[in-house]
Amino acid sequence: MLGAAATWTVPVFLEKTFFALNAMGADAATQIVTGKDGTILVVLQMAGGNDGLNMVVPYGDDAYHVARPRLALPADQILKVNDYVGLNPKLGGLKSLYDEGHLAIVQGVGYPNPNRSHFRSTEIWQTASDADRSLSEGWLGRYFDNCCSGADPTVGVAIGEETPQAFAAKRPTGVTFSRPEQFRFRSSEPGNGQMSAEEMFFRQLNESGATDESRAPAATDGASIGAIPGKTKSDLSTLDFLERTALDAQLSSDKILAIARKSKSTVTYPQGPLAASLNVIARMIAGGLPTRVYYASQGGFDTHAGQLNTHPRLMGYFNDALAAFVADLKQQGNFDRVLLLTFSEFGRRVQENANGGTDHGAAAPMFVLGGAVKPGLFGKYPSLTDLDRGDLKFNTDFRTVYGTVLERWLKAPSQIVLGRKFAELAIV
Amino acid sequence: MLAPLPASQWNKTTAAHLLSRAAFGATPAEIDAAEKKGLSATVAELVDFKPDAANVPAPDWAHPRNIREIRMGIKAEKERGGNFKEKRREFRMMEGEEILSLRQWWLDRMLNGPAPLLEKMTLFWHGHFATSVQKVRDAYWMWLQNDTLRRNALGSFSALAKKISRDPAMMIYLDLQQSRKEHPNENWARELMELFTVGIGNYSEQDIREAARAFTGYRLDLTDQQFRYAPFQQDAGPKNFMGRTGAIKGDDVLEALVGKPACAQFIGRKLWRYFVEDEPSPQTVDRVAERIRAHKFEMRPLLREIFSSAEFYSDRAMATQIKSPVQYIVQTCKLLGTPLPPAVVSQNAMRQMGQVLFAPPNVKGWDGGKTWISTSTLYFRYNFANYLINGDAMLPGNPQTRGQGGDVGFRKAARVAEKTPRDPIDVSKLVPVELRTKPRELVDVLSQRLFQNPPSGKEIDAFTQYLEARKSDDADGAVRGLIHLMMSTPQFQLA
Repeated sequence: MLGAAATWTVPVFLEKTFFALNAMGADAATQIVTGKDGTILVVLQMAGGNDGLNMVVPYGDDAYHVARPRLALPADQILKVNDYVGLNPKLGGLKSLYDEGHLAIVQGVGYPNPNRSHFRSTEIWQTASDADRSLSEGWLGRYFDNCCSGADPTVGVAIGEETPQAFAAKRPTGVTFSRPEQFRFRSSEPGNGQMSAEEMFFRQLNESGATDESRAPAATDGASIGAIPGKTKSDLSTLDFLERTALDAQLSSDKILAIARKSKSTVTYPQGPLAASLNVIARMIAGGLPTRVYYASQGGFDTHAGQLNTHPRLMGYFNDALAAFVADLKQQGNFDRVLLLTFSEFGRRVQENANGGTDHGAAAPMFVLGGAVKPGLFGKYPSLTDLDRGDLKFNTDFRTVYGTVLERWLKAPSQIVLGRKFAELAIV
Repeated sequence: MLAPLPASQWNKTTAAHLLSRAAFGATPAEIDAAEKKGLSATVAELVDFKPDAANVPAPDWAHPRNIREIRMGIKAEKERGGNFKEKRREFRMMEGEEILSLRQWWLDRMLNGPAPLLEKMTLFWHGHFATSVQKVRDAYWMWLQNDTLRRNALGSFSALAKKISRDPAMMIYLDLQQSRKEHPNENWARELMELFTVGIGNYSEQDIREAARAFTGYRLDLTDQQFRYAPFQQDAGPKNFMGRTGAIKGDDVLEALVGKPACAQFIGRKLWRYFVEDEPSPQTVDRVAERIRAHKFEMRPLLREIFSSAEFYSDRAMATQIKSPVQYIVQTCKLLGTPLPPAVVSQNAMRQMGQVLFAPPNVKGWDGGKTWISTSTLYFRYNFANYLINGDAMLPGNPQTRGQGGDVGFRKAARVAEKTPRDPIDVSKLVPVELRTKPRELVDVLSQRLFQNPPSGKEIDAFTQYLEARKSDDADGAVRGLIHLMMSTPQFQLA
């Protein structure tokens, strides 16, 4: 099946790949610790604006019941943390974690001058910018750039189709896939156990593409399409960006596929996309992928109407998926190495609306869980009567949580990543 | 006026660029024909299609139903303790089948319809006035919105915006039909300003509240699925919106917004990103906004001017756009001379590439540009190309490939394939037989068909060496392998 040209290609290809990987290894001076045996961060986005008031419920506050005649959860159903606050009745698994000492609840998290747009507020959380500034790189991307330079593309793994903005970086940006078994180049020739000519040349093209200087000029007037004047070096041309992504995919897919084949979970996960994502993450951790940061998300939290039906369902599913993930990590013996952080772009308005829903709000709680987490309630529950245009006022900047995780969990200098130093919380 | 493209610069490359941006790509023969016709005739053919091109017959299931009665029936069944779940499941199944058929119906119009620019603009507006069936949950309403977008796609933006404010699918998607005089819902009012007209930073929270009050009284009749205006639900009180005061209504809000300079900027930037370049400079946006106002927000003359301009064919524009997943599917089928895949396969492919028609991820629509590409979607494109070229044998989930990692999303597709088998493409339609023994020429012919930009020397060498490596194999198979190799490149993702 393989002709002369292909046999000629194999050693060249292998040599080049190993050279590239070694060069990367030698360069990884900033952070030698990897997710193979070091600490791991999992970020879970609750997209759409989760109703924090009905997740961590101030059931002991009359103002809560007054503001939400239809949506307030009855006090006798609340999973009580103290006589003021408790968890949504669907969060049984998380309550157990809290009782075991593995869950920190950070209350009243937000940022100054909150924005009520999904997109702008998500961008603020993903880039860790001030509300009046716009940054293009994500907070995790800046961690990759500044603390993991030269590392291989699997420094970060996002489960899904789209790369989260939090990963946006100069280099590398991490890899994205939804099903590890599908994350590979499929050749049209039968392989019969060896690499086909098609795949061989495919790999060769990917490697040379990223370094190709001899690209033919565009037909119009002779200028290279890569060279757009006035752009910074980090602002890659579309073609450079595509070539880099293709190389990242190739360098990571063999490794990910191998882990997916050997590492299976024995824990049963519920159906649905979040559980599937967490399952993949657990398998990658078990298989020793060197990834330090994983990213997953759950959608559907934009409950403007009919929240009485939707929110409990979302909470129940969130709880069941997380409970399975935690059980899996415990069984692997990796629970102490993993810290999971949840966030949503905003909470929702204190007062329910006329459609049995809630509109875009501001401050909300975050969960931080893991074997090494220091449990408890952090921050203060915001007042339900001293509001900012109907919304809770934040008292903990979300970047104090990011900063704490960077400093204490990933052992990375947070000031470089976040632009300034934020106070730390004793959550780890 | 935007400076026109000099006639001397009209050639195969510029013709291919126009047909790939203003339409869904073209075969070498179509490009030759356009080159001969000239720039203005080609633009006219795209822009001035027959007036009845928007008069598209609806799919046969797309007619209003008495949803009220259906819902009451399910509810009554539930109260009787009957098998309501079965009834509800049937109803949902029907919705699913209909939306599946609607997606394929639209892809087919893009690939085979008489007015590709009309479909391209309809797709632009679908991404702009983004509405998802996941919340609307009714295929008739999604079709109705698509029809409204198509009929107004090249007309006036303010007329379209007014129609969309009365569009049932949009009203459900942004909770407008639930907004009452006593309790105005802000969802539509906010997104109207943030995403549909002036953009963030050009309105206040007060404007949102006042606009929400102005847009009360919009109702849906569930017995025939149509819009109704209910004057008694309209908040008739005085309002103060962007400096206008009085008993302002919804249409007044729209007129005020379209009159703001920020609106021409916002629409201009989006249109320019969709048709021309990913990151227009502020000067470019100003210039386009000025042209939008000069054309009074009429899209047809504006598009004619853009497609005839030198800027549209500049270096910053040519071969720099990442094909959207929908463009990828339609253009690839066109270039390979192969029909669309079965509906379930296209639908799954759209999902894995990140653009499902009638189900944008949120009200912002698709961001486009570099966000189309992640390691995940890029590998999916490469593998999907393999299926489009080689047919069922490469379908992930096919028994033959299942051992390599079955894909649950494609299981159903594999079953469909048993009924409507898909063969490998016929390479003799793409490559003259006499070139089979001349690898270098064969690579050139296929490069011209597949790439907007000529490949580099290294790429040409690799393609040629691949053919030589497979000299002893089945000749058609080797050409198909070459086509797959060529499509599995960054260059092929560019339009």
